[in-house]
Amino acid sequence: MSMIDIKVAAVEQVTPLVKHFTFVKKDGSPFPAFSGGSHVVVSMNVGGRVHRNPYSLMGSPADTGAYHISVRKQEQSRGGSVFMHENVEVGTSLQITYPVNLFSLAKKAHKHILIAGGIGITPFMSQLIDLNRLDANFELHYAFRSPEHGAFADKLKAICSDKLHCYADSKGERLDLLALLSKQPLGTHVYVCGPNPMVVAVIETARNLGWPENHIHSEQFLSPGIGEPFKIQLAKSNIEVHVPAEMSMLEAIEAAGVDADYLCRGGVCGRCEVNVLESDGALLHHDHFLTDAEKASGKKIMPCVSRARCDRLVLEL
Amino acid sequence: MERGYWIRSKPVYTSLLWHEKATSHLVVAQGQGGMAVLKLFQLMHPKQAITVLYTPYAEADYSKTLVKVVPEGLHILETEQEVLAKLDSVLQSMYMGMRLYIAGSEDFMWSVAKVANKFGVEDAGMMKELTGTLARPIYCVHCKATTHGVTTNIGECSGCGRMLFVRDHFSRKLGAYMGLMIDAESPGELPEIEEIYP
Repeated sequence: MSMIDIKVAAVEQVTPLVKHFTFVKKDGSPFPAFSGGSHVVVSMNVGGRVHRNPYSLMGSPADTGAYHISVRKQEQSRGGSVFMHENVEVGTSLQITYPVNLFSLAKKAHKHILIAGGIGITPFMSQLIDLNRLDANFELHYAFRSPEHGAFADKLKAICSDKLHCYADSKGERLDLLALLSKQPLGTHVYVCGPNPMVVAVIETARNLGWPENHIHSEQFLSPGIGEPFKIQLAKSNIEVHVPAEMSMLEAIEAAGVDADYLCRGGVCGRCEVNVLESDGALLHHDHFLTDAEKASGKKIMPCVSRARCDRLVLEL
Repeated sequence: MERGYWIRSKPVYTSLLWHEKATSHLVVAQGQGGMAVLKLFQLMHPKQAITVLYTPYAEADYSKTLVKVVPEGLHILETEQEVLAKLDSVLQSMYMGMRLYIAGSEDFMWSVAKVANKFGVEDAGMMKELTGTLARPIYCVHCKATTHGVTTNIGECSGCGRMLFVRDHFSRKLGAYMGLMIDAESPGELPEIEEIYP
């Protein structure tokens, strides 16, 4: 996969847990243009092991001089977000993929309701600029733990003025989804990015209110998570690969020198899907891409986030 | 027609079924589509608010039965134009969660869809049942006129008079099938014209 060489031009501590990084291209040329909601995968070498994490681009799509991402330091980090926080500073060189958009605004929408939880605000930062430019009808509902964790709230206030609604959990402020999504005008689309329970609640509430599926949009990058180690057989490459507890299947496959396809690395896009030829145990599907029926069939797996509990697993790779 | 041939743009119509999560129901039907509406109410009288717009067409008039069966919000209208005008006004006061059900000819259904699109109701949010006729609306790729109710494999364009081959290629935006001049290479040489969309 072709990558862009970048260096870090600025680092800003935004909240106790969130850092904002500004990237410029190493050769000084402009970045490719992107649309609101896009993300890049940042590749980092952590102690000899390559980590690749997806992050939303949160700068203005009109600014190709620099890319902006924000990283929340994860408590259960496998190393990526901690590395970004502790080892990346002004001048650090990294590689990123070209931007990909899996969370784009619906062009036909008459109204947009954006719902963010915590660091889930990042994809909306670039979308808001598009919405303002298009003079679109929108509302942003932003929920966070406490005011000190409300990253970019002041900046958002400046961009959105009265279209911004903030909810600080510490002050007992709650976003009432049922009230919000009832009586919305025809042609409204809802977008959610945040922690899993919030994403599920928004999707379920909208569905129960009769919203058509294509009016409900969500993005939720998963980190691969830590699990039991297991072994896989790659049929085409004819090798056996050991997947350690703290490594994803995709990472282990890559580390074994096998070129596997990928895009988001967060269980969203479906690009890394592989066929399961044989297995004698349970596939632990963690992705948001496969349908329930596909997961149950045991014929496909997304190696970026999913794991297995079995003695024998043969993949068509 | 080659067996197994199917073009992705061709709309797939189903039987109308109440959407169980809808917060209100809007049913729009024409002529024989009245039977599709009766079938809906045969299944269930939903709890949520109901609006039904109906216009008789050709020989088919289910008005009398609909008056007896539809519990509220029934509007019997004389023409398609009146249906579309009424639709425009009822949509103004509807919210997300409303589900739209349409039954009638393709000409009728896509005219209804066009009004709904204006309010941000997208194709995926509508259910359509084809009734009464297979007659097609045809969009002339040469003069851009739409000819309604074409029942033959080749039809005359109401705009420019060209003889158009009626394709399966359908545009949801235009609500019509593509029609292109059949005798452009050898003017006047037409294959046999047959009724295949009665």
